[in-house]
Amino acid sequence: MKLGYTIIYVKNVPETVAFYEAAFGLTQRFMHESTLYAEMQTGNTVLSFSAEEVIELDGLAFAPNEKSAIPAGWEICFITEDVEAAFEKAVASGCAPVSKPHGVPWGQTISYVRDLNGCLVEIATPMNLEG
Amino acid sequence: MRLPDGYQERIYTPQQARSVEAVWRHEESQAGRSLILPDGRCDVIVRYNADRAVVPRLVVTGPATRPYWVTFEAWDRWIGVRLRPERGGVLWGDALARAKDQVALEDEAEALVPELAGLCVAGVSPADLQQALVRFVEGRALSPEGHRVGETVRRLHLTGGRFSVTELAARAGCSTRHLNRMFASTVGLSVKAYASLVQFHRALRLVCRAGGSLSDAAFEAGYADQAHMTRAMRRFGGFVPSDIPEGLIRPDVSGGLWGNRTA
Repeated sequence: MKLGYTIIYVKNVPETVAFYEAAFGLTQRFMHESTLYAEMQTGNTVLSFSAEEVIELDGLAFAPNEKSAIPAGWEICFITEDVEAAFEKAVASGCAPVSKPHGVPWGQTISYVRDLNGCLVEIATPMNLEG
Repeated sequence: MRLPDGYQERIYTPQQARSVEAVWRHEESQAGRSLILPDGRCDVIVRYNADRAVVPRLVVTGPATRPYWVTFEAWDRWIGVRLRPERGGVLWGDALARAKDQVALEDEAEALVPELAGLCVAGVSPADLQQALVRFVEGRALSPEGHRVGETVRRLHLTGGRFSVTELAARAGCSTRHLNRMFASTVGLSVKAYASLVQFHRALRLVCRAGGSLSDAAFEAGYADQAHMTRAMRRFGGFVPSDIPEGLIRPDVSGGLWGNRTA
């Protein structure tokens, strides 16, 4: 078994793609012509966005991500050497700040924001597993 | 679960920009009767027959919360427009408050929608019927309250009817009392009644498709136990989970997705 995709259900796929391009510097790699599904250029494990409205036909149900509601208990974590700059760019692009960049005992610098849909996003330095 | 032969529908997207949720057609090749499951929506329907000498009949339905049977003759046909739940007022106006489980036929239907009164004449073509129905329903502005109710309807469907009214009100940014009032005046049902229908339809799908036991399905659907699911299926379908009939007329209540879906 291999982790292939992290798929986030969102209200508006193109809007979310544009937001992730601006706030986190990602690039879109695919958009279905229906605009109900898109993938970002994130290497072997793909971050993709799918329109919420398609879930019901598969019998799924979930608590939708919304800015006004408490976020779900999981996050996306982006890794960068310059957390300060990435955090500032994210907030300047419309992310809501939750925790500004700070050091933690195990050596990382970490920070948290919420994206346009209210999802929790962490921006952190890489973890040095050899340390 | 198998949809009956001859039923097809086209879902309209994007959802909230429109009044029409789906345009559907149905045809029966022999006389009989069919069970219709409640979906809480209003429809405007023209019922006609392959025999063009038969005068078509206009039907306007209110939001259904109970299953009902329809009887028909050979080669009876239907063409219908299902409205988004928050658009019931387009058909019923102020009478929406009394429209629950009501079906208006012919004169009564024409009194509700006088704009369509001249439509039902012998020999009218299906294409003209469809065009007239869609044209009548579309192009109407939705009130700000209607938009807010539409958002609540969306949340109800995404959660399979499992959000509480309290949670829905918090997300809508208003009190439960205000949400209930807005919802009832726009959809024609209480939030709770509509949520129960969404939960029932999802449970039906889980029982038929999830691949687990009935108690697994009841748990995933959000019922307190299997007995609660059984009660809901009796009430909304008239059957029990272990004996779901084939060939139910079961509109795609999600109102989602990619255009044509045939039975």
